[in-house]
Amino acid sequence: MTSIPAHDHEHDHRTETIQLWIKTALLIGLGIYFVYNIASGNLANYINARFAWLSYVAAALFLLIGLFSAIHLLRDHGHDEHDHGHEDHHHEQISWRSLLIIAVPLLLGTLIPSQPLGAQAISGSISTSSVSLSDTQTFNVAPEQRNVLDWVRAFNQNDASSFDGQPADVIGFVYVEPSFGENQFMVARFAISCCVADATAIGVPVMWDQAPALKQGEWLEVKGTFSVAAFQGDQIPVLQATSVEQVEQPEHPYLYP
Amino acid sequence: MTAQAKFTPVRALLIVVALAVVIVLSLALIGTGNDFSTILSIFSTRFLGIFIEAIPFLLLGTVASGLIDNFVSPDDIARWVPRNPVLATLAGTFMGFLFPVCECGVVPVVRRLYTKGLPMSVGVTFLLAAPAINPIVLVSTYVAFGFGTVLIGRFVITAVVAMAVGLVFAFAARPQDVLRPTSLAPVMGGDGFGDEFAEGVIPLYASAPRKPLVIGLRDSIIAAGDEFFEMGRYLILGSLLAAAMQTLISQDVLLALGRGPIISVIVMQLLAFVLSVCSTVDAFLALAFAGTFTTGSILAFLTFGPMVDIKSTLMFLGVFKRRTVLYLILLPLLMTMLIGVWLNLNVAF
Repeated sequence: MTSIPAHDHEHDHRTETIQLWIKTALLIGLGIYFVYNIASGNLANYINARFAWLSYVAAALFLLIGLFSAIHLLRDHGHDEHDHGHEDHHHEQISWRSLLIIAVPLLLGTLIPSQPLGAQAISGSISTSSVSLSDTQTFNVAPEQRNVLDWVRAFNQNDASSFDGQPADVIGFVYVEPSFGENQFMVARFAISCCVADATAIGVPVMWDQAPALKQGEWLEVKGTFSVAAFQGDQIPVLQATSVEQVEQPEHPYLYP
Repeated sequence: MTAQAKFTPVRALLIVVALAVVIVLSLALIGTGNDFSTILSIFSTRFLGIFIEAIPFLLLGTVASGLIDNFVSPDDIARWVPRNPVLATLAGTFMGFLFPVCECGVVPVVRRLYTKGLPMSVGVTFLLAAPAINPIVLVSTYVAFGFGTVLIGRFVITAVVAMAVGLVFAFAARPQDVLRPTSLAPVMGGDGFGDEFAEGVIPLYASAPRKPLVIGLRDSIIAAGDEFFEMGRYLILGSLLAAAMQTLISQDVLLALGRGPIISVIVMQLLAFVLSVCSTVDAFLALAFAGTFTTGSILAFLTFGPMVDIKSTLMFLGVFKRRTVLYLILLPLLMTMLIGVWLNLNVAF
């Protein structure tokens, strides 16, 4: 009867040490994950580049805390039991459940290939003239320099007819819905202010005679001129494409309002 | 070890999140044309987006909490508080700038301040205000929403509600009716929380003598690691739920729920209470709902959540009497609800 608690205590202690090492490994692992995200450019799949510095802070803090945790473990848990006295802070009980939950982002981040939100993530709600993204600066940008976001903002502020004949050169991914007219597609982007949590799909309608051959989600550079035409039942500026080229996915897949 | 049989917020949350994800996942597989790997990829991107943007703030919060734990003595603060009840309440509202704590860190600090003679009503105001009105939350809310209605609204509403509740307590209640006997009597260094606390909740700071700088810094960082595992769980579960809703529930359903001026507020308050996400990072979760939910409901989420949620309620029970805890839940609930609904009905955002 008396020997069992002693054995249990030893066992508990070993479990605790293993858990603390896993905890330390998770902290360092998360630090490395952040460094990897920054180095590989994958960070741009998740957050606005303006806030990339926050991830530097996270990487540094994870590595710092992980390092201290490791040193602490090496020093105090290798030869412990007898020198509990000098510790004036006590660890919280860490459960397997907590460790598992904290491991979730690391598992998702490493096991699932990092990809930006694309055509499949749109599911029907795409804007051609978003009010919430309005900004007057667009007028300072020459038509050929405007990206999808600039155009969508401009459409929101001016009459459709005022864009007749304006040249455009935009990069985005193909978005097609069954309800689109023949030879129509959209060159689309996601706009994010903070991170993908606030991602808004935006797109410029395009008319091109070879549109049916395009694959949903592939990245294109589309050149052409605007003219008012029927798109999804509205009379809006539609880009009449003169040249459509496949391009690599840009380094920053999202546009930042 | 007794925790196995006990109700804990994490366990409840786990069940809610798991159920929601399973139900919604099966609905989505039937409802949309996308295959499972595509859905998983989108879900993963959305989840990691919230996680990556939020985690620096959670870490900064835990480091701040560790530093307070080791370097700041609440004893001094208690002495500076003005005697006039209105001024004192005002001071309580902005004490978060001295203690940048989230709703879980605030309870031990308040309890400690009470043992140092802080007026009861000021403690109540501090308890409700500090998790939202502090520099870390200011920056995280700014990063998420920019400078505008949500940022200003969050701080103004929190200040108003926290002061109002504090004044109610100042004029309508005696300390001995409000506080548990263990909080009323100064217990130096003791851990009066004992078994009233659920698993994993941070105990009262020991009233230790000031530590040398290097030791204090080391202990702060170690404590930050412990607290990260405590708080990180809520962030991750909350983010999983938010990402699942964004990915899997159709926009129409969310809009139907989120556009109602009253129902949207109630839904977001319920979500804030259940998710229990740390106030330093809740702005990023709110962001996931900002596209489909009313601004009043987003503000209700961002003001009610930091004051009251499952885990802070459990901690309240260690400091206040049961009836007081009820007031501490109901007063902020009703006030933020009324303000949220009123804003939805009367202000065009």
